[in-house]
Amino acid sequence: MTESSISLEILQEVTRIANSTLDLDETLQNIIQVIKNKMHMDACAIYLIDESDGLLHLKASMGLPDDAKRINLKIGQGVTGWVAQQGTSLALSEAMQDPRFVYFPEIEEEKFHSLLSVPILADCPPLGVINVHSVEKRMFQLEEITVLETIAGQVTGCLRNAIQFHQNQMMLKETRILYDISLAVQSTLKLEHGLWVILSAITMGEAGGFNRAMLFTINDKTQCLQGIMGMGPDSQEDAVRIWTELDKKRGSLLDWVIKETQSDLIRNSKFNSFVCGLSYPLNPNDNVLSETVLQKKPFNITHAKEHPLVSQEFIDALGVDTFATVPLIAHEEVLGVILVDNRYDQKRITEENLRFLTRFTVYASWVIENSRLFSKLLDTNRELLSMKEQLVQAERLSALGEMAAEVAHEIKNPLVSIGGFARRLKDKMNTLSKKREDSDELKSAANYSEIISNEVERLERLLKNTLIYSKSGALETEECQINKLIEESLYMFKSGFFEKNINLVTQFEEDLPLLNLDQQKIKQVLINLVYNSLESLSMGGMLKIQTYLEDYAQKQKMVTVRVEDTGGGVPQDIFENIFNPFFTTKHSGTGLGLSICRKIIENHGGSIRVENQIGKGVTVYLHLPLQMGLDYYKN
Amino acid sequence: MKSILVVDDEQNIRFLYKEELEDDGYKVSVAATGEEALQKLDNSIPDLIILDIKMPGMDGIEVMRKIKDEKGDIPIILCSAYGRYKQDFRAWASDAYVVKSADLRELKLTIKEIFNQRIAG
Repeated sequence: MTESSISLEILQEVTRIANSTLDLDETLQNIIQVIKNKMHMDACAIYLIDESDGLLHLKASMGLPDDAKRINLKIGQGVTGWVAQQGTSLALSEAMQDPRFVYFPEIEEEKFHSLLSVPILADCPPLGVINVHSVEKRMFQLEEITVLETIAGQVTGCLRNAIQFHQNQMMLKETRILYDISLAVQSTLKLEHGLWVILSAITMGEAGGFNRAMLFTINDKTQCLQGIMGMGPDSQEDAVRIWTELDKKRGSLLDWVIKETQSDLIRNSKFNSFVCGLSYPLNPNDNVLSETVLQKKPFNITHAKEHPLVSQEFIDALGVDTFATVPLIAHEEVLGVILVDNRYDQKRITEENLRFLTRFTVYASWVIENSRLFSKLLDTNRELLSMKEQLVQAERLSALGEMAAEVAHEIKNPLVSIGGFARRLKDKMNTLSKKREDSDELKSAANYSEIISNEVERLERLLKNTLIYSKSGALETEECQINKLIEESLYMFKSGFFEKNINLVTQFEEDLPLLNLDQQKIKQVLINLVYNSLESLSMGGMLKIQTYLEDYAQKQKMVTVRVEDTGGGVPQDIFENIFNPFFTTKHSGTGLGLSICRKIIENHGGSIRVENQIGKGVTVYLHLPLQMGLDYYKN
Repeated sequence: MKSILVVDDEQNIRFLYKEELEDDGYKVSVAATGEEALQKLDNSIPDLIILDIKMPGMDGIEVMRKIKDEKGDIPIILCSAYGRYKQDFRAWASDAYVVKSADLRELKLTIKEIFNQRIAG
């Protein structure tokens, strides 16, 4: 076989290998095997420049001792380094004689005499170097050099493919993890758990892979960045233990993180307590954390000691010289900062890492924002519920009071008649007895009448006292703006209006005079009215609330609150009973608590009026007097 | 002779008031409902009206508003079995408020006071 046909055969073989598989290590190993065997060399090696440290690493070799794998060369160091630096091939029949030669015992280079080293060229700088060694001293043919250079060209292609493939893989992985995280985050509304998932993904996950992560949020009251959660090993030993454990869980890592409920473990970790004890003022040019918030951009700090925004105290607390910070932003508002470092494996934080982290923080922001909104919702619901309970309770009491009043009223009228006529009878008897001689009988009859009228008087006093006693709830009044009170009451229904597609229209007369009201009680009334409207507006519609000042009977000034809905009104038989406390307690929904509303308004000296238009809606008028008039009749 | 219109849904109370007030020298007419009272006012205007609050149909407060709006400022004494309506600001449009009692002295005193005030004013 001629030289050139061998060369051709080698090239064909290498091309086939280069195109056959996507696993780079395997490809390189196969190529080396072909080179070594077909070119009849004693050893062959491929070095590639590692992006992370910029050194030449031995990626694949044949005919070299195992220890050779540990070799990392600087660009320019030794023959291989020189080739990588210059980008030109070098053929040496006596390699060790060459001034560029550096001896590495791991390669046992004393065994070899001749060395051919060709660069794996891409654009610039080269990607690596292919070396072939021969024990026997020999001169390399031009043909051989050309073949190896051509192979190097093939390897460049392989590497490009592999890099492309790696990038695709990374992107796929990134997408998958982001998706998983978003699912996990959506599934929880508990702040702590959500944040825990996020920080886990940053630290333990394959995506972030940072050693430690700390979360700071803005405390509005103190204007400080307060540490609220820290995740990471407490020590080097802890780190090793955790990473060994995590290695076993690879693949289902995220599942594990999400299902994990041992948050006590993290809460009790030394690192978490450490982070929770950190607090930094939110001032411009003060520290890197506040600067992250104020400038809304991430910082990648590589030499903390020289950085103007990092104090020595901060470096000592963290124990690292390299870290990164990323702002947490939701609705264009900064909520806090995440700080990450690689304290235990000292890995450099690349731009890619940081980019990824920035994406993660979006989820963290969502978690915080969601949970904030959710807890607000819970608070509002709780308030509504307790309001409702209070109303029901008050309503029951009011029902009793109402009944007592009703009975008293019914008794009072006959009593007035009985007592009134008994008095008349007594007077008549006394007048008659004076006119007649034989008046003893008439006198005793007058006495009987007096007994009746005295006893009636006693009953009247009893009724009066009972009624005073049964008068419900003393008012705690203070001057206030009714419009503001309405706004506050409406606030609780905000989400309800939105959900039910209710169009809220408010027309408040400005500069209404201040009213003397028991704010809590009037709020109950307003909430009750809006609640009733909301019930009837289950299919959406309009709720209109107006306030205005008007005259009553040309004598009194009053403020009217008008609440109108388009909920279709209530059936006539129900409407007739809306103020009946016994009726309303049995029917939840329509007219709930209107009797107590009336009671409250009446206690304020006001009145309540309801208009019902079947097919259209209900309009309620609350008339409230400008002054409290309990003493009105005394003058 | 001063004339008084008594409006109350309880027949016996109307009767009691009429007897007592006539004894005191007033000319007394009666009405059982707010509607009847308003009708009566179309024919003649009394010097004073005693108005029960709780009545079926139009209540006393509403009747009062109609009277004050339509018939002018006729003195009105609101009367009720208990003091509940005393705090209702609408009741303040009346000239006096008296809680019903078998003892009519307070009512009679109030009537006198109103007449004296009107004469003085």
